[in-house]
Amino acid sequence: MTMPFTLRSGGAASWALRLVAGAVLVYVMFWIPTQASNGVIDTCITALTLMAAAMALNLLLGYTGQISIGHSAFFGIGAYTTGILVSRYGWSPFQTLAVAFVVAFVVGALVSLPALRIKGVYLALVTLSLGLVFPQLIKAPKMEWLTGGARGLDKTGFKFTKKNPTYEIFGWNPWGNLRGENVKPFLYWIAMIIVIIVYLACRGVVKSRAGRSLIAIRDNETAAAVMGVNLAVTKGLAFGLSAALCSLPGCLSAIRTGNVTPDSTNLTVLGAITFLIVMVVGGAGSLWGPIIGSALYVFVTDRTGDWSDKEAIPAVLRPFFGWSHTPPGSGIFAVVLIALMFVAPFGIVGMWHRVVRRFVKVVPRPAGTGTIDTPATAPAEA
Amino acid sequence: MELFLQRLADGLSQGSVYALMALGLVIIYRGTGHLNFAQGEMALFCTYVVYQCGEWGIPIGLALPIGMVVGFALGAVTEVALIRPVAKKSPFAVFIVTLGLFQFLNWLDGAIWRDQPLPNSGVGSVQQQFPSLFPSKDTDFITIFGADIKLQSVGVFVLVLALTGALFLLFNKTKLGLAMNAVASNAESAKLVGIRTNMVLMVSWGIATAIGALGGVVFAGINHNVNLTLMFTVFIYGSAAATLGGFDSPGGAVLGGLIIGVIENMAAGYADEWVGQQLKVGVAFVVIVVVLLVKPSGLFGTAKVERV
Amino acid sequence: MSLLRAQGLTAGYGPVTVLNAIDLEVNEGEIVVILGANGAGKTTTMRAVSGTIPRSGVVEFDGHDISRTSPDAIVRHGLAQVPQGRGTFPELSVEDNLRAGAITRRDGAGAVAADLQRWFEQFPRLAERRSQRAGSLSGGEQQMLAIARALMSRPKLLLCDEPSLGLAPLITKELFEVIERLNAQEGLSVLLVEQNANLAMHMASRVYLLETGRIVASGSAAELSADDTIRKAYLGF
Ligand SMILES: Nc1ncnc2c1ncn2[C@@H]1O[C@H](COP(=O)(O)OP(=O)(O)O)[C@@H](O)[C@H]1O
Ligand SMILES: [Mg+2]
Repeated sequence: MTMPFTLRSGGAASWALRLVAGAVLVYVMFWIPTQASNGVIDTCITALTLMAAAMALNLLLGYTGQISIGHSAFFGIGAYTTGILVSRYGWSPFQTLAVAFVVAFVVGALVSLPALRIKGVYLALVTLSLGLVFPQLIKAPKMEWLTGGARGLDKTGFKFTKKNPTYEIFGWNPWGNLRGENVKPFLYWIAMIIVIIVYLACRGVVKSRAGRSLIAIRDNETAAAVMGVNLAVTKGLAFGLSAALCSLPGCLSAIRTGNVTPDSTNLTVLGAITFLIVMVVGGAGSLWGPIIGSALYVFVTDRTGDWSDKEAIPAVLRPFFGWSHTPPGSGIFAVVLIALMFVAPFGIVGMWHRVVRRFVKVVPRPAGTGTIDTPATAPAEA
Repeated sequence: MELFLQRLADGLSQGSVYALMALGLVIIYRGTGHLNFAQGEMALFCTYVVYQCGEWGIPIGLALPIGMVVGFALGAVTEVALIRPVAKKSPFAVFIVTLGLFQFLNWLDGAIWRDQPLPNSGVGSVQQQFPSLFPSKDTDFITIFGADIKLQSVGVFVLVLALTGALFLLFNKTKLGLAMNAVASNAESAKLVGIRTNMVLMVSWGIATAIGALGGVVFAGINHNVNLTLMFTVFIYGSAAATLGGFDSPGGAVLGGLIIGVIENMAAGYADEWVGQQLKVGVAFVVIVVVLLVKPSGLFGTAKVERV
Repeated sequence: MSLLRAQGLTAGYGPVTVLNAIDLEVNEGEIVVILGANGAGKTTTMRAVSGTIPRSGVVEFDGHDISRTSPDAIVRHGLAQVPQGRGTFPELSVEDNLRAGAITRRDGAGAVAADLQRWFEQFPRLAERRSQRAGSLSGGEQQMLAIARALMSRPKLLLCDEPSLGLAPLITKELFEVIERLNAQEGLSVLLVEQNANLAMHMASRVYLLETGRIVASGSAAELSADDTIRKAYLGF
C-alpha cells in the first residue's frame, strides 16, 4: 500500500502540525469564556470535570490494567474535603485542593494494598463496593457532625460579593466579573487549570521511567518483576496518584455548585461507571482518549438534554425517545460503548490511529533520541 | 431472644434474595468465567415488567412467571448477541459490555417507567404498592418462641430452599445439568463429547437471568416498591455471597447469601450506633475484601477460580 | 469401505498454517496409526478431523461431508475423539464423566446404563472409583476414563491422541490391548496418534508418517518397516 503522506516524528512537519493544533487549542480555550454564552461555559465546565476524573482513572486502568468502578469515592473525597473545610472551617477553596489531594492519595494508596493480591474483575468488584459504601459512609449518623449527613453541606464555594474587585488586563477581562454577576468564566478557568494539572501529571508519569514500569506491569507482571520493577510500590503510587488526581474535579464540583450532597451523580456508582465508560469510549491507555470521550459524552447529553420535551426530538427519532422525562444521553452512550466493543475495542483514539496509519506514514524517531511514544491503543486486559 | 430470632428471620429472608442474585452470578461464571455486572439491572428490568403486568391487572401469581420468561429471553439474547461475539476478543471487552448493559438497562427502565417510587408512580399507578408474593400485612406473622416472624420472611425463605432443591435436581439429575457441569469443568472436552456448548451457555444465561428476576420481584415485594437504585446494593450483596460461597459453587452461593443476610441484619441491629441502616453495605465490602485476600476460592469453590 | 476420508486437509492456528493439504483415509475395521516427531502436526490433524479448529479441504465421514460441521455435530455422526492430555472433566465424578460421554445418545437411559456397566466391567479400576472426582485419578486411570467416555457415545471411529503419553510401559500395554480387543471384537475403527513407533506398529493396519505438516510416507506396517531408509529415519529401530 502506498502512503500518500510521510511524517517524521520530531521532524519539521510534525512540529508544524503540533504548533497549529496547539494554537487552535489555545484559541478555543480562550474563546469559550470570553465569547460563548453562560450556558455553553457551564456545559464546558461539566465536560472539564468529567475529563479530569476520566484522565485520573485512565492513569490506573489504561496504564496499569487495574480496574476501578469506585473512583466516584475519590471524587467524593475531593468534594467533601473542600466542602467541610470551606463551610465548617472557613478555608479558602483554593487551599483545600492540596488537602484533598493528600487525603485522596493516602486513601488510594491504602486501597491499593488489597489490590496487590486482587486482580481483574475481582478488583472491579472490590472497588464497586467501595463506590457503594462511600455515600453511605457520608450519610452515617456517626459522621453527620462532619458531613452533614444526607442533607449534605452548603456554602462550599467562593463568596462572591459586590465588594469583590474585578481584575482586568488592558481592559480585557477573561475571567468574568467577580462581583457575583458573571462568575462562570472564573469557574471555567479553575476547571481548566485542574484539567491541565491532571493532564500534565498523567503525561509526566507516562513518559517517565515510572510510566514505563507501569506499562510493563500492565503487559506482564512477572516479567516486570524480573526487570526489577517494585510491584507493590509502583502499584501503590499509581493507585494513590490516580485517586489524588480524581479528587481535584471533586473539589471543583463543590466550589462550582456551592453545595455537596452524597447523592449527586458523580459521587455515586453511576458516576464511577460514567468515568469508566467515557474513558473506554475515548480510548483507554491513551492520553487524549478520556478528553475526547468526555467531550463527546457531555456534547451528547447536552444536545439531548431537552428531549424530555417531545417537540425537541428530531422527527425520525421520536418513536424511540420521549416516553418519559428521562433524557436519553446515558442510554445513547451505553449503546455507543457496546457497539465500540464490537468494532473498535481501543476506543475512538484507537480508531483514529488506525485510520491515520492508512494515509500517513509516521516514521518514529531514531532509537535513543527521545522519550518512548505513548502506547496509544492497547487496552488493559481484564 | 425474641429480638434475636426476629433479626435472624429478617436476615434469612433478605439473605434469600442475595442467594438468588448470587446463584445467577455463579451459573454464568461457571459456564464462561465472566462476572456479569449487569445481573442486578437485568433483574430490575424484569421486576419492572412484573410491576407493569400488575398495572394491567395481571395478578402476581401470573406476572411472576411472565417476568421470569422475559428474564430468560433477555439473558439468552444477551449471551448470543452481545457476550459471545466480544468474548472472542478479550475478557476486558466482555467486562465493558456488561457495564454498558448495566447503564443501558438502568436508563431504559427510567425511560419507560420513570424514577419514582410506588405508589405515586409517574405512570399513574393503580397498585398501592409493589405486589408481594406472600401475605405482607402487619398482621401476617407467626409466633415462634415468642418472636413474631413475618409470614413473608418464612415464605421467601421456603421459596429459596425450594428453588435450591430444584436447581440441585437440575444439576445432578438432568442431561442439561450434566452438560452445564461439563462445560463448566472443561469447555473444550465438552465439545468433544458432543455437547452444544453454545446452546448450554445461552441457556445458562437465560436461567441465571430468570433467577435474578425472581430475586428482583421478591426484593421489591419485601420493600413494597421498585425504583432505579433498587438493585445496586442487592447486586453487591449477591457478589459478596458468591465470593464467600465460591464463584463456581451454586450451593455455596445460597449458603453465602444466607450468611451475609444474617450478618448484615445482626450488624445493623446490634451495632446500631456504628453500622446502622446506612453502613450495612459495608458488610458486603468487608466480606468481599477479606474472602478475596484470605481464601479467594471461597468456602466451597474449587481452586480453579483464578484471580486474573 | 472407507469410513473417514480427508482430502487436501489444511489447518493451523490463526495466521499460522500447520497442516499442508494432507490426504488421509481410514477404512471400516482398521486401526490406522499416525506417526511423527514432536510438533509434526499429529494433534493438529486430529483437531482438524474432529472440527475443533478451523480447517479447509474435504473431510467425509460415513458418507457425510463434515468439512463444515461443528464438533458437537460430528460426534453425533459417530466420531469420538480422545484428546491429547485426556481432557477429562476433573470436577465431575467418574460416572458423570461417562454419562457426559453418552449425552448425544437418544436410545434411552436403559441402554446407557447397560453400556456404563459394560465399561465398568471392562475397566474394573474405574468401577472402584465411580463416585470419585476424575481429577483425583492417576494418569493411567484418567486415560482409561477418557477412552471409556469416548466409547460411551458408541462411535464408529475412535480418534486417540497419544494415549501412551506419560504412562508406565505396563499400563500402556494394557491400554493398547483394550483397543485391539475392541477393534477385533466390535469392529471399532481407530485412528491412533503415537510417537512410540515400536508399540504402535504391531497393531496398525496401516501407517501414515507425518513430518512438518505433510505426509511423507504411508502403507502397511510391514511395508514401512521393510523400507530401510524410512525405518532408520522415522521409526528408530
Ligand atoms: N494452540 C496452538 N496455537 C498455535 N500453534 C500451535 C498450537 N498447537 C500447536 N501449535 C503448533 O503447531 C505445530 C504442530 O503441533 P502439534 O499438532 O501439536 O504437533 P504434534 O501433536 O505432532 O506434537 C507445532 O509447531 C506447534 O507449535
Ligand atoms: Mg500432539
